[in-house]
Amino acid sequence: MTAPSAVLEEHRPLSPAAAPRDTRARRRRRRREALPLYLAISPFYVLFAIFGLFPILFSIVLSFTDWDGMGEVSFVGLAQYQFLVTDERFWNAVGNTFIIWFLSTVPMLFLAMVIAFLLHQNIRFTPFYRVAFFLPNVTSMVAMAIVFGSVFSDTFGLVNSALTALGLDAVPWLSSPWGIKITIAAMVIWRFTGYNAIIYLAGLQSIPTDLYDAARVDGASLLQVFFRITIPLMRPIILFTVITSTIGGLSLFTEPQVLLGNSGGAGEAGMTIVLYQYNQAFTQFDFGYGSAIAWALFLIAALFAIVNWRLVSGRGDGPARRVRARKEARR
Amino acid sequence: MSPLSTVRPRRLPPSPPGRGPSRRSLFLGAAGLLPLAAAGCGSPETISSDPSELVMWFWDRSASPALLEQAGSGIPGTDMHVRADVIGTNFDTKLRTSLAGRAYIPDITYINSNNALYFTNEDLFLDLGELGAESVKDDFYEWKWNLGITPTGRFRFFPLDIGPTGFFFRQDVFEEAGLPSTAEDVSAATTTWEDWIALGVELKGAADAFLVNDAQNVFEAVLNSSPERYFDADDTALYLEDGSAVREAWDVTVAAIEGGITARIPRDRSTDQNAAWSSGRTAGNIGAAWWTQVLAESAPDTEGSWRIASQPVRAGNNGGSFAALPHTCKDPEAAMEFLMWINSPTNQARAYEDVQLFPSTPESFGDLRYSGSFFGDQDPLEFFSTAAETVPTSFISTWETLIGGSFTFELTNVETSGKDPDRAWEDALSQAERVLTKRGVEA
Repeated sequence: MTAPSAVLEEHRPLSPAAAPRDTRARRRRRRREALPLYLAISPFYVLFAIFGLFPILFSIVLSFTDWDGMGEVSFVGLAQYQFLVTDERFWNAVGNTFIIWFLSTVPMLFLAMVIAFLLHQNIRFTPFYRVAFFLPNVTSMVAMAIVFGSVFSDTFGLVNSALTALGLDAVPWLSSPWGIKITIAAMVIWRFTGYNAIIYLAGLQSIPTDLYDAARVDGASLLQVFFRITIPLMRPIILFTVITSTIGGLSLFTEPQVLLGNSGGAGEAGMTIVLYQYNQAFTQFDFGYGSAIAWALFLIAALFAIVNWRLVSGRGDGPARRVRARKEARR
Repeated sequence: MSPLSTVRPRRLPPSPPGRGPSRRSLFLGAAGLLPLAAAGCGSPETISSDPSELVMWFWDRSASPALLEQAGSGIPGTDMHVRADVIGTNFDTKLRTSLAGRAYIPDITYINSNNALYFTNEDLFLDLGELGAESVKDDFYEWKWNLGITPTGRFRFFPLDIGPTGFFFRQDVFEEAGLPSTAEDVSAATTTWEDWIALGVELKGAADAFLVNDAQNVFEAVLNSSPERYFDADDTALYLEDGSAVREAWDVTVAAIEGGITARIPRDRSTDQNAAWSSGRTAGNIGAAWWTQVLAESAPDTEGSWRIASQPVRAGNNGGSFAALPHTCKDPEAAMEFLMWINSPTNQARAYEDVQLFPSTPESFGDLRYSGSFFGDQDPLEFFSTAAETVPTSFISTWETLIGGSFTFELTNVETSGKDPDRAWEDALSQAERVLTKRGVEA
């Protein structure tokens, strides 16, 4: 290919007089040569501009207007945002989103870590388990919602049948504020635990075995190995899964929508930010307000991105070095 | 293809053998996309370029396939024909999108019972009165016809089917509880809402069964049978007045909740609702004519045990669609011919036989016979066609769709989490006011 000679050409010293004309000609030629390449990658950018960038930019405009989706678009300035700040239903949705995010992420990542740790041991049928744990992630959401709706049904559900069989009180899973949140969190956990376990497993496999061997020689127990070696070395991967779960958690929509409908269930206890946005834009046809909610969500997500970024960049590859340092000190 | 002409293949770096063509075809493809993107601008207003073809948007089971096929080869009395496109979910969003973009607008569109949502943009649809719709007015139930009139007094939404309501109940459960159990006896015993609630309390005591699944069912049943609703055509907020119909419906519903006759299963949990009806734990529902079909499909094992009684006070209407002609319609006269033809009494009877659309023309019932046995010896056709006679004329406002949810939401709070009814009413009012102020409606 021509690449090496092009690099050489680039660094060849030019006589000062010839320089301007020469550069211009070369630039033109290079542009001409690059054109087919740009053309080749253009489909993505053209489609993205039409179906991604334009709607994003247009939603900024829309958030400053009042529009029902077909009539006149009237400019209302910051009125949508003013309404948003004092809208109890919006803040309820923000609260719900964070509660569900917390209820799902913490147990999910813990379970995923335990599963990955166990899969990493020398057990039989590991490939089978790997597929089995990943399966919920690719299951149809609608089918899942029907199953969960039946399992957690107040009067006819499996869970309540089991509880009453054990002599306990039935729990109104789908009509009480906490029941609804726990059910949605359970759906998220069920769907994404396997996915995170696979990521953790990949992380575990990248930890050098000599660290484990050394720990074993030093007489460390399994728990000590897990908390003193595995967890610290997995830090970047854990942070990655926390970030992806945060993104998923903040944009939670499908689970509550298919389980409870567009209204978010009794007392709007399952109303999340994105569900509220969908509800306002596509069932109330208040596109201005829907857009304002979307940008409020963007701000919240940006805030979280900054926090995450601080966490990651603050102490990058520290733990590995610290473990090594500690080992050396002990020696 | 002009970008390609500037590329001289000679100047390209030599490709490895065998890979040239694929790379060439890649940017041929890319260049091919550009005109496609450019074609987005300047799209036509109507969908079909065939001058004799009217495109109609509808959804599954909202029109008789046999009649559409017939119109596909020609609308009787015209030289136009109809191409009917089934539009899937999010019908309203798609229709709005085409109207807002002024591109690919159907010539004829069906609109669900939420036609009031289009009142604020009524100029986007043709005035059917100007096209001679009045000539068939007397064929239709008057109250249904009036629902197609906008606040400015223009007739823009043509009646399709209707949804007169009645009280469905499980005869076997009522019998076991020692309550009146024939349709006539139940109707006679529940002429007022107080009597109806009292019957529910008795049922609860005797058979531990609920009368209906949720409070919203009661609220909507009362309101749907009332001549007065949230607003009048001049945007007066009637619901704020003392003794308003909305408040009355609210009070009846709260009494039903306090009587414990609702099963506290909100409608978004349809799996639970169906289970309650199948098992007999909930022994009734106030439903429209179309609910006979829904019930037969969701609780097939209960065949023969359901009956329908008149709902207290009078029948209401729940659902039923309309047709409208967007302002861009290619041939309004022919489209009007089509609407009058497909909704003639004879053809509505045929649509009932095909897809169980309940006719909005009383004359249709002359030739119709109900063949099922889901309601034992009772004929739901006869029941609902009689009920349809008593449905009052009412006005549904655009703003109702914005605030109606606040009231049903608060009633659900009272029902499922025991919220204080007075507090709930105040909250519903203030939420409604907030939404209306936001949308620029003075209430």
